[in-house]
Amino acid sequence: MVAVEFAIETNGLTKRYGPLIAVNKLNLKVKTNTIHGFLGPNGAGKTTTIKLLVGLLKPDEGTISIFGQEVVGDRPDVRLRMGYMPELPKFPKHLTGYELLDIYGKMYGLNVQERREQVPRLLEMVGLKDRGNDRIGKYSKGMQQRIGIAQALINNPELVIMDEPSLGLDPVGMVEVREIMNAIVKRGMTVFISSHLLHEVQQVCSHITIINRGITLASDTLENISNQLLGPSTLEVEVTKLTDAIVKNVKKVPFVSSISKEDNKLLIQVEKQEDVRPQVSEAVTKSGGVIVTMNLKERNLEDVFMKLIIKSKGAKTK
Amino acid sequence: MSRSRTSPSRITRFSAVVKYELLWNIRKKKFLGMIVLAFILATLSLVLPVILSNVTNQPLNQNPDYVISTGTGIGGLGFFLFAIVTVMNSISGEFESGTIVPLLTKPVSRTTIFIGKVFAAFLTLFTTYVILTGYLAIGGTIVYGAQNSLHLLPISLMGNILSTFVWIAIVLAIGSISKSSMIAALVTFGIWMGLTIASPIISMFSDQTWILHYVIGSGATGYIEGLGSPNPLIPGMPISTGTDSIATNLINYILYPSANVTFFKIGILGPGSPLLVELYTEALSLVVLRSILVATAYILVFSLISWYAFRRAQVLQ
Ligand SMILES: Nc1ncnc2c1ncn2[C@@H]1O[C@H](COP(=O)(O)OP(=O)(O)OP(=O)(O)O)[C@@H](O)[C@H]1O
Ligand SMILES: [Mg+2]
Repeated sequence: MVAVEFAIETNGLTKRYGPLIAVNKLNLKVKTNTIHGFLGPNGAGKTTTIKLLVGLLKPDEGTISIFGQEVVGDRPDVRLRMGYMPELPKFPKHLTGYELLDIYGKMYGLNVQERREQVPRLLEMVGLKDRGNDRIGKYSKGMQQRIGIAQALINNPELVIMDEPSLGLDPVGMVEVREIMNAIVKRGMTVFISSHLLHEVQQVCSHITIINRGITLASDTLENISNQLLGPSTLEVEVTKLTDAIVKNVKKVPFVSSISKEDNKLLIQVEKQEDVRPQVSEAVTKSGGVIVTMNLKERNLEDVFMKLIIKSKGAKTK
Repeated sequence: MSRSRTSPSRITRFSAVVKYELLWNIRKKKFLGMIVLAFILATLSLVLPVILSNVTNQPLNQNPDYVISTGTGIGGLGFFLFAIVTVMNSISGEFESGTIVPLLTKPVSRTTIFIGKVFAAFLTLFTTYVILTGYLAIGGTIVYGAQNSLHLLPISLMGNILSTFVWIAIVLAIGSISKSSMIAALVTFGIWMGLTIASPIISMFSDQTWILHYVIGSGATGYIEGLGSPNPLIPGMPISTGTDSIATNLINYILYPSANVTFFKIGILGPGSPLLVELYTEALSLVVLRSILVATAYILVFSLISWYAFRRAQVLQ
């Protein structure tokens, strides 16, 4: 096996539902052996993109490559290397959890022995060990979600695609899902996981792609995205009397990019997310000033994510 | 890890699909209900004559041809109903319930899934018909005494399955195009109803009865002269030429290989004009062969349509 750089690569991927462009010229790149988060608000086009990737929908334009192989039409050989957990998956109600995993495993070509090992192991992993012999029709929403995760891993896939895996899970379930993600990536799998919750993705993903209205807003490592998006932070310092000496000294503090004055307040722009409060406080005191209040306007990724999305919405509707 | 990358054998994938489908059929309430109903009707048809003969004190005549002329005991309506309950959900139902999503993303080609579903339908139907035929054969022997031509029962069985598969192919085609079980069942019912009403009328009054030889269902009615109960109004043993009558006609052909079938229409009643106007006569062998070919053609065409629709289907949900 030649190591392939990208597990998923799309080029100009486009899907329309009538006049609506659900996915618009998407260029997605998912590096092998990473956990890649696919973020976007409701209706952003995440599920549509994923359905295109797994062959449930046909693209109107553009190409899809999985492990460097362009996928056109019905490709069971490509699916052999993938596991997929649909958004709110539905399984035949008359099968038990065990039977479901067993039959799906057989479709992946696992023999009886392998299935006998794999099925109970997965049931245990997703916390359904005691319910394996119950029919799926009797499962709760969260249990269906869990069996959905299990069936996506039945073949030890190289690439796992999960569409909102924690939808409908309780907080404990969410933590468990996160642990499962981390565990499978250690085994050398690539995971592509969609979500509309940033904090969920933030905790497990090394890379993220943010889309809205079918258009990519950002795609990079989590770290780069954070720095890029969070941008400069603002430190607001109120002093009893604002003098030029204070301004001059504060300007010398490292990472400070610009300063503006507002009555007795200094608005200090700080590059990146450095905390420069000690240095600023020192500079003010040294120049004979007295600090009344100091307020770091911290922006968390969630706000930025929201702003990014609101901005893209505004741009569209104009 | 490495072995999971080797392509699973076709047989393994195929048998997985068949198992998936069979479990579905076996656990389907509609299907179980249908089988129970079929057995109740079969039992009634065996037991009622016995009760009647006891009540009226008229001894039941021995009938050595009872079993071979009864077969599965189900005719046109039965074929249609069994087709509906066997496959009404097998493609469209998966779209409706959303189970198609995980299924189509497994490493099994859509063609394999399609063939697996059809094969599972065949197995289900075959088993049901074998049991039903066996039940009637044993019951018929008990009620009507020793039976003739029992060795022909497998032929009758295959004929019945062929007849049912015409309807199965139609249900599947409409189901995979519409992705709705309800539409599949209703449209097929409409076709069945239309043909069941129209066929006898065309057969009775039209000069063009030959058209019915190429139509699904009961087809045209013809008569084998010299057979059947003597009756001045009926010119012989009536047979139907459509796809529903393959089994009966096959058995008749084997029993009376040189028989001819004559078709009539009802003439305008008037002075001097006969009640029945003879249209034409043809060999029973031709009637049988043609109905088998017509049924096979319908099965192939409708299966191709549903296979094509299924292969191209997108899962919009
Ligand atoms: N079958 C369909 N027919 C028409 N429009 C559709 C269909 N499926 C999705 N859409 C539209 O396509 C857009 C993208 O939908 P999609 O389901 O991909 O969003 P999503 O990012 O997965 O959202 P969510 O977080 O709610 O799951 C939406 O505007 C949606 O209304
Ligand atoms: Mg979605």
